[in-house]
This record gives sequence, C-alpha cells and structure tokens, in this order.
Amino acid sequence: MAKNLSGDLSVASANRLTDGVVVFLDDAGEWTQRLERAAVARDKRAGDILLERAKAEAFTVVDPYLVAVSEDDSGVLEPLSLREKIRVSGLTFEAIAADAVRYA
Amino acid sequence: MRCVMPDTHFYRYDDYDRTLVAERVEQFRDQVRRRLSGELTEEQFKPLRLTNGLYLQLHAYMLRIAIPYGTLSSRQLRKLADIARKYDRGYGHFTTRQNLQLNWIKLEDAPDALAALAEVDMHAMQTSGNVIRNVTADHFAGAALDEIEDPRIWCEIVRQWSTLHPEFSFLPRKFKIAITGSPNDRAAVRVHDIGLRLWRNEAGEVGFEVIVGGGLGRTPMIGKTLREFLPKDELLAYLEATLRVYNRYGRRDNLYKARIKILVHEVGAEKMREEVEAEYAKIKDGALKLPAETIESIARQFAPPALPHRPAVVGAVEALKLEDRDFALWLKSNVSPHRMAGYRIVTVSLKPAGAPPGDASSVQMEGVADIADAYSQGEIRVSHEQNLVLPHVAVEDLPVVWLALGRLGFAEANVGKITDIIACPGLDYCALANARSIPVAQSISNHFARIGLQHDIGDLKIKISGCINACGHHHVGHIGILGVDKNGVELYQISLGGDVDFGKTALGTILGPAVAADKVVEAVDALVATYLDARGEGERFVDTYRRIGAQPFKDRVYAVV
Amino acid sequence: MPLFRESGPVEDPWQRLGDDAPVPADGLVLVSFTRWREARAALLARRGPVGVALANTDPVEALASDTARLDLIALHFPKFSDGRAYSQARLLRERLGYQGELRATGNVLQDQAPFMLRCGFDSFESEQKGFGEALAKARTLFSVVYQPTEDGRGTAALLRLNRRNAVVS
Repeated sequence: MAKNLSGDLSVASANRLTDGVVVFLDDAGEWTQRLERAAVARDKRAGDILLERAKAEAFTVVDPYLVAVSEDDSGVLEPLSLREKIRVSGLTFEAIAADAVRYA
Repeated sequence: MRCVMPDTHFYRYDDYDRTLVAERVEQFRDQVRRRLSGELTEEQFKPLRLTNGLYLQLHAYMLRIAIPYGTLSSRQLRKLADIARKYDRGYGHFTTRQNLQLNWIKLEDAPDALAALAEVDMHAMQTSGNVIRNVTADHFAGAALDEIEDPRIWCEIVRQWSTLHPEFSFLPRKFKIAITGSPNDRAAVRVHDIGLRLWRNEAGEVGFEVIVGGGLGRTPMIGKTLREFLPKDELLAYLEATLRVYNRYGRRDNLYKARIKILVHEVGAEKMREEVEAEYAKIKDGALKLPAETIESIARQFAPPALPHRPAVVGAVEALKLEDRDFALWLKSNVSPHRMAGYRIVTVSLKPAGAPPGDASSVQMEGVADIADAYSQGEIRVSHEQNLVLPHVAVEDLPVVWLALGRLGFAEANVGKITDIIACPGLDYCALANARSIPVAQSISNHFARIGLQHDIGDLKIKISGCINACGHHHVGHIGILGVDKNGVELYQISLGGDVDFGKTALGTILGPAVAADKVVEAVDALVATYLDARGEGERFVDTYRRIGAQPFKDRVYAVV
Repeated sequence: MPLFRESGPVEDPWQRLGDDAPVPADGLVLVSFTRWREARAALLARRGPVGVALANTDPVEALASDTARLDLIALHFPKFSDGRAYSQARLLRERLGYQGELRATGNVLQDQAPFMLRCGFDSFESEQKGFGEALAKARTLFSVVYQPTEDGRGTAALLRLNRRNAVVS
C-alpha cells in the first residue's frame, strides 16, 4: 500500500499526566490512546497550529509535541521513527509475565 | 507507623529515619495533589518528582527504588514483589546502580507505593534528579575474603548526610558516589563522581583514598585521586567541601558539560585539590566531624551474622560435583569464596537464556526471598551487573540452593560469562535511547546459550547501552556495544578492552564502523572466534585482546558484517 | 514583588538603587555588587542602612570584612533549579558570621522554602500563589534533619548521642 512519507503529516502526542500513558490529540481537542483517532496536520503550518492547540489543552498531559506519521491508502497512520513506533505499539520483546515462576 | 524488623545484619532504621521517610512521603503526596490540580506546572514539579524517584519514560512513569548499598532483607524483597504486583505489571528490573526499577507506575499511585515502601524502611528518595544519588558499594561487602572494612557502614553514613541536604539539592547535575572496602574494586569507584576506597596505611590505620571526577557517558573519564589518605572521621567534611566547590563552580550553561568530571578536567586536578582542601580545612573540625560513638553505633549494625561453624568440605557436595556437570559448572561460575571456610557467596543469575537481563517477576522475587530466609541469613544483595547475591550460603546447602534457584530459572551457570550481559533498558523503555538493547542482549544470549561453550570461552563481559548516556556501562565492557541511530536505523558500535575489575579501570576502544542490528550476533561470534584461535594459556578474552591488539579482531568482524 | 517572612507578608522598606542612580543621603538602600565595589566607602559613610544584592556567581568572600555593617544581603535564584545561592547563604551565615537579613530573590518557590530556611534565608521575594502560607509551615515540614547547618537544629546523629548518653547516665 502506498504510504505518504513526505514527512509533512503529523499528529500531536503527549504522556497522560496521571499515569504516563501515550495519548494523541483528537479533532475534538481531547486526548485519546487511539492513534487512528488523532487529528492529522497535513503541512507544517497546520502542524504549528496543531501543536499550539495541544499545548493549550495540556492540563491533563505532560509536554505535548508533534510526531511525524505516514498514512496509507486506507488512512491508517503509522509513526515514521522507530522511537514513536515503539511508543505506540509497546515493548518489542516478551516481558516476563506477572506471576511467572520462570521466564518462558 | 509501627514496624518490627526481624534481625538484620545491616543498618536498622530508628524512629528518626522512619519519621523522615514518612514526612517525605506526605510532602510528595501534597506535591502530587498540587500538580494534578494544576497549581504546579510540570517545570516546577519535575525536580520534585525526580527526587522521589519518578521518571517519565516512553510508555509510562518509572519508579526507581533505592536499595542502599545493594542490601535487602527478605522482608524487603517480598515487599518489592508486592508493590510490583499491586502498582505495576508484576515484575521489576535490577539496575547497574543497585536500584530496582518498576516501569509502569501511575503518578496518582506513586504516593501510595512510596508509603508501602516506607513500611519496610525503603524509599525512592534522590534516585533521580540533580542531587546526590544512591551511594553504591561492593555487592560482596561484609562477606568477601579480601575485605579490609565493610564499605556499607560508610555508605549509610553518606546516605544520611546526603538525604535532603539543604545546600546540595539543586546541583548542576546528578552526583554518584561509590565505596569499596577491598583492593579488588567491585564498585567501579574510578568511574564515579566521587569514588572512595578504604585501605590500610603503613601505620596500620584505615582511611579513604578519595577519587573525584570519574564517569562514563558522553565523555568517559577516569577519576583523579584528590587525597591519598583521608582519616575516616573526616569523610563528611571532605565530601561537603567537594560538593560545595562543585555546587559553586560546576558548569550550568550546558547540560552535557555539567558533571564534576568536566570541572576537574577544565580546572585541572591540582587546582581542584587546592580548592577542595582549602574549603575542607575550614570545616574539618566542625560539626561534620564524626564522633567515634556515631561511627561505632552504625558499624555495629553491620557486624556480620554469627554464622554457625559449618564444614568446609562436604562429601555430598563433592559427589554431586562429579555426577552433575551443570552443578559443577554452576559452582565454578556462580559461587565465590566467603571469609568463612564453611560458606560461599552465591550469585543468583538474572540472565536466563533469552531473557531480558536483570528482570525478575514478583513470584521470582518471593522465591529468592524464601531461599534467602532458609539458606542465607535472610539477606540478599543486588550486584552492579544486574544480578542478585545470596551472601552467606553454607557449603552443605549449595545443592539445595542450586535446585531451588533452578526452579526459578536463576541457576544458569553464566556469571561472568558471555551471556551474563549487562544491558540498559534501551529504546524499548527509555525516552533518551537511540536504539534498543534488550533484543540485542537476548539474541546474543540465545546464540551462546550452551553452558559448556560459555565456560570454554571463559570470562567475558558484554555491556550494552542504548545511547551515549551509557547506563549499560558499555565503555567498561570487554566487549562494549553502543546503540546509535543513523537516519532512523539502529546501528551498533562495538568497542573492545574496557574493564573495571581487579582495581584496573580501562575504557574500551572502538573497533570500526557501527554494524547493523541483524549482524551483531555474527560480529560477536567473529570476536569470540578470533580469541579462541589466538588465546594463550590461561588468557581471558580481554587478555588476548591486550596482547594481540585490535587488528585481528577487526579483520575477522568486518569480513562478515 | 511580594515579600515574606515566616511570620507573614511584610512591606519592603528597601529601595533598590540602579547602578547609575545617585545614592540618597538616608533611607535603606540596596545596591548591586558592582555598585558596592565602586562606592563602598561612600555607601558606608552615609546615614541609613545599606544592603548588597549579589548575583549567584559573585564571590561572597568579598563581603567578609563588612558583614557586621550590612543590614541586608539579597541572593538570587535565576531559576529555582540553580542552587548556587544555597552555598552563598551558608557561607555568609556560617563562615562570615553575617547576622542581618538574608533575602532570597528570583525564582523563589514554596517547595524550596524548607531548604532555604535551613541555609539561613529569612526573607523571600515570591510571586507564587500560596507562598506565604507554605512558608509559615516550611520550617516544621520535616521534624528530622540529618545535616548540621547554622539553624542550630539538632541532627538525628546528635539526638541519638544525647539519647544514648541520657540513658546511660
């Protein structure tokens, strides 16, 4: 699937203040854990505006910033950088399970 | 807050210590409330939460719990298991500074988690932030054969002096102190902001060598000796003088040049010594001088347990050694001499094949606590190599301990061997990282899993850091691996010849261009092969490297990557 | 800028003098360290108390011979996280024997008040909401201290010795 990798697309992200969970600013100005619901800025100017909005809504989050994303033909968003991919999808290995007697 | 601690052989909190920790928790509870209500901005709150151990990572907050001088009672370890289960995801990571990290803590739960810690005389004070951090010691302290004096006595004295120090709570940068009581420095004192080495002079007196300005990270440096011999009762005055000079003159214009090692480098060791000694001379006979009684009252609490005499040679153990190769290898690598002939120090390997290094689940922590109660005087240590230690195991009990650890997956006979890898959390967890370290450690661990092979290769320390901050101590690995980011791709820079053992401190030399993630195992394989082909009698990997130099290793690695 | 002591908000009777402004004949006058070095004799000769405001990079030792004649020394926190003034404060109190008013200025926030008090500060310029109320409680926020400072509070170590000796005798 073709991806828009032009580097112009971005979403606003932060960590939730109460629990540190990764969240994104949606179109309604609320913070959601779902990347697919994130408001997308399609050029640099829109990105600046999005970031300003995120900072204005920063009461419940820590340090909002812009994350560059790609969008495929069906509109699925994915962060461009490895750091942000990991931030969204979690650990890239199996952590030991709670109450495991041994590592698997 | 009532609390009856069972008999421990290390410092026991009294009501003063408990009150301070409790008041700190209440202060933090109020600070969290004011942050959540918006009264405090993040900028104002950040140092307050850092100095209570709460660090924001990629996915969540991380709580770094202090384990002073790496010493735990079984009761404390059980509480850590409990807290991990109740407030986190049921596991924790033991770090290179003898702390425990829980990776999924909620800010709103943090005051309760800290209150739970306080129930067993533990805390997370000053494990982060621009303050004096957890003072680390030799993980064999109090049990090792070569010990001159137990460094943990001094770790406790320094811990109290440095906790909520009104003058030094806003330093230019973090400050790390390590103390060794043995000529074989297992605390890496020469790569700390201040390293202290206890030694005995010709007159038979025991005092400190004071080493200042060591450190790893962006600009690794080996510390300079400011004072060859410092009388023990003047330690706090000397530390206060050093910290005051640093607080006044350390750089604050550039985050990367703010450690004391940069100050020492820029003004020179001679000038630094002059400044510190001048300040020290003015305060050494004042209120910081330690009365003998104060030292004694703390030292007494570290008196080694009165261990009942146990036989040094045990028929059943000798027999098992001959019958069971795994047990024999485990004895060789994971078991060390103890000052008493009928006992040994057992290292609990938290490096099972393919596992994230240094992690333990709540159940595993409780398992180790049970073994400690039954076979190690209820005491556990945390090493700098992301392993645990049972400091007082009778020779007679070695087989049953080995079996019990085996059930937990912690009896891999790999201590000091190629799969006893030190790895920072890396990009999987850490917002500062450029690359991942845990999957790299896992792949190396799986590749070299065969224990016989590991023992044949011998002592080989691989240390992996996910960024230049070097929390994996890659500069001092025999093989050091540093994750870097080149145009969004993870690459790994390999260095050889670093060391922190046996009083020798050396920084590794970079081998060549960084290698791709999927080539790291092959590169390590090539390094090992080069060593095995070239090694002389009794030579470890690092010895062969020192003898033959980098070229043969370089040729072999870059032929395959 | 609101000024506080532990007892509550206070009026500031001090006039901060610009480096080029003429020195008034009387009244309380607070000058910069630069002005102090230029005009020290004149400042001390006049009627009326004089105070010096130091930057956190100025050497407190330069005031060594004048501590008995100064009624105010103001120290500065350009950012609350810049802790140099804590050392300056302790040196002024403990080394140089300064007993006049020691004022904290700049980015002064309530969570640092306990440390500031222990280092010898006794007045505080702060715009933070609620600072005054927090300052009133700051000294007793921690009933146990480990380090000896000029505030004379008994450290845990000292209290332990006293307690042990009381039991013995």
